[in-house]
Amino acid sequence: MIYLFQVLNGIGLGMLYFLLAVGLSVIFGLLQFVNFAHGAFYLLGAYLTYDLTMRGFSFWAAMPLATLIVAGLAALIEAVLLHRIYKLPHTFHILVTVGLALVVQELVIIAWGPLGGSVPAPEGLQGVVILGDFIYPQYRLFTIGFTAVLAGLLWWLLEGTRLGAIVRGGSESPANMALLGYNTLRINTAVFGFGAGLAGLAGALAAPIRGVEPFMGIEALSVAFVVVVIGGMGSYTGALVAGLLVGVVQSVMTTLWPEGARLMIYVGMALVIALMPRGLLGRA
Amino acid sequence: MNPLDKPYAQLALALLTVLVLPLFLKSGILATEILIFAMVVAACNLLLGYTGLLSFGQGIFFGIGTYVAGICLTRWQVPVPLVLAGAAVLGAATATLVGWLSIRRQGVYFVMLTLAFSQLFYFVAYTFSGVTGGDNGLLGVPRPSVGGTALNAPWSYYTFVAICFVAVFAVLVMVTQSTFGRTLLAIRENEGRAAAIGFPTRLFKIEAFAISGAVTAFGGALHAMLIGVAPLSNIEYHTSELILIMTIIGGSSSLFGSVLGAGFYLLLADALSTVWPRWLLLLGLVLVTVALFLQRGLWGLVERGYDLVFRRERAPETPAEEH
Repeated sequence: MIYLFQVLNGIGLGMLYFLLAVGLSVIFGLLQFVNFAHGAFYLLGAYLTYDLTMRGFSFWAAMPLATLIVAGLAALIEAVLLHRIYKLPHTFHILVTVGLALVVQELVIIAWGPLGGSVPAPEGLQGVVILGDFIYPQYRLFTIGFTAVLAGLLWWLLEGTRLGAIVRGGSESPANMALLGYNTLRINTAVFGFGAGLAGLAGALAAPIRGVEPFMGIEALSVAFVVVVIGGMGSYTGALVAGLLVGVVQSVMTTLWPEGARLMIYVGMALVIALMPRGLLGRA
Repeated sequence: MNPLDKPYAQLALALLTVLVLPLFLKSGILATEILIFAMVVAACNLLLGYTGLLSFGQGIFFGIGTYVAGICLTRWQVPVPLVLAGAAVLGAATATLVGWLSIRRQGVYFVMLTLAFSQLFYFVAYTFSGVTGGDNGLLGVPRPSVGGTALNAPWSYYTFVAICFVAVFAVLVMVTQSTFGRTLLAIRENEGRAAAIGFPTRLFKIEAFAISGAVTAFGGALHAMLIGVAPLSNIEYHTSELILIMTIIGGSSSLFGSVLGAGFYLLLADALSTVWPRWLLLLGLVLVTVALFLQRGLWGLVERGYDLVFRRERAPETPAEEH
C-alpha cells in the first residue's frame, strides 16, 4: 500500500518535471538556446503563488496569475536582452542565463527573505481521499489530473495546431519562416514566454506540495536537465516518459532509502548514459 | 599573436602576480585564496579554452580534493605531500569517469550532463555524512608544517601555496604548448577533421579532463588546509558555477586570463559581500555585461590595452571564438 502511495506521489512529481522539461525543450528547439534561467522562472512562479495567496487571493486565482506574470516577464526579458545574444556561442547563452538566474534568486531573497515558507493546499482540496484503507491527499490527486489534462492540451497544441506547426517550422528553418512572411522575432518572444510560463506553472503547482525556498530553482533546473538528457531534447514523448520515470524513482526511493532518494535520480541518469548513450528513446 | 600570449610571458605574469599580491593585499588569506582559485580556474580553462568543453562539474573535483585533505589530515595524519598527491590522483580518476560519461553526448547535452553530475556528487557527499561530515563538514583540518613548524601564519602558508601555484601553472603552460595541447586546440577547432586525421579525439578529451580534475582536486586540498574545514559547500553546484564564471570573466583564450578572472571575482566578493549581502545580484549583471560587451573577457581587455600602448597600427580584431 505504501508503494501505491509513493508511485502516485511519483506520478504527480513526474508530471511537474515533465512540464519543466517541455518548457526547456520548446525553447531549445526553436531558439537553439540553452536556458539556465529556467529554474529561476520555476522559483518565481512558486514565490508569486506564495505571495498572492498570502495577500488573500484564492489559489485558483494565484496559480494562473503567477503563470501569466512569469510568462510576461520572460517574454519581456527575451525581447529586451536575449534576442541580442542568439548569434553568440553557447558559452555566452549560459553566462547570460546564469547571470539572470542569480539576479532572480537574489531579488527573491530581497523581496521575501532567505527562509522560505509554505503554501496551504487550496480551498476545496484540503482533505484526503479515502478508498478502503488507502488514504491520499486531495490536492496531490488534483495535480495528477490537472497536469494530465495539460499534457494532452500541450500535445494537441504542439502537434495538432497551426501554432505548433509554426513553432516546428521555426526550429527547422527560421529563414524559411521569415520568407513565408512570419514575424520570427515575435514568434521567438512568444515561445520563450510560453516555455518560461510552463516552468512558472510547475512552480505554482509545486508550491502547496513542497513549500517555497530561494534555492528550489537550481534543484528544478538540474532535474529538468536530467529529464531532457535521458528523454531527448525536443521530444515530447521522451520528456513525458523520462519525467514520470524520474518522479517515480525519487518517490519510491523515499520509502526505501530516504537520505539517498535524490541521489538515486542522478545515479539512475548516470546508468542510463553509461548503457544507452543516446538516451532512453535513442533520439538526438 | 600578441607577445603577452607567449608561454614565457604567461609564466612571467604568473610569477609577477605571486610577488605583487603581498604588496597590495592586507589579508594573506585572501591572497592565498586567489592563488588557489587561479590554478583551479586555469584547469577549467584547459577544458573550455583549449578543448572547447564547457564543464559545469569542476566543483566535483574541487570537493573531492577538499574531502581527501579533510579525511586524511583529521583522521589519519597522513603527510601533506602524500595528501596532495592523493587528492590529485583521485581527482584525475573521478574526472576520467565523469569525462568518459559526459563526452558520450555533445554540445548542450554535454554541459547539462556535467551539471547533473555535479548534483550527483553533491548528493553523495550529503548522503554519506558519516564519511564527509554532511552539512557540518570536517572540522579542524591542520595546516602543513615545514621543518617541524606549522604554517599557521597567513603569509607563510601563502608562500607554500605560491610555490605550488607557480609549479602547477608552469605545468599547465607546458601542457598547452605540447603536441598534446596543440591537438586539443585542433579538436576544439574542428573535431571531425581531427578525428579524420586519425587522432583518437575522445581519448584526448578524457585526458584533458583527467589533467583538469587532478589540478582542481589539488587546489581543493590546499583550500581545505587554508580555511581549516572541509565544507559541504566546496562540492556544491555553486562551486562549479563559481569556477566557470571566473573562467569566462577572465577570458578563455589565455591561461593567465584565468588568474585575472579568479582575482577579479574574489576581490569583488571581498569588497562587496561585507557591504551588501545580496551582492550576487550585481554579479549577475556583470555576467550579462561580459557576454554583451566583453566576450574575450578581462584578458581581451589586457590585449587591447597592450596593442594601444605598444603597437602603432592596431592588430585586426580577432572574431569571437566559436564553440
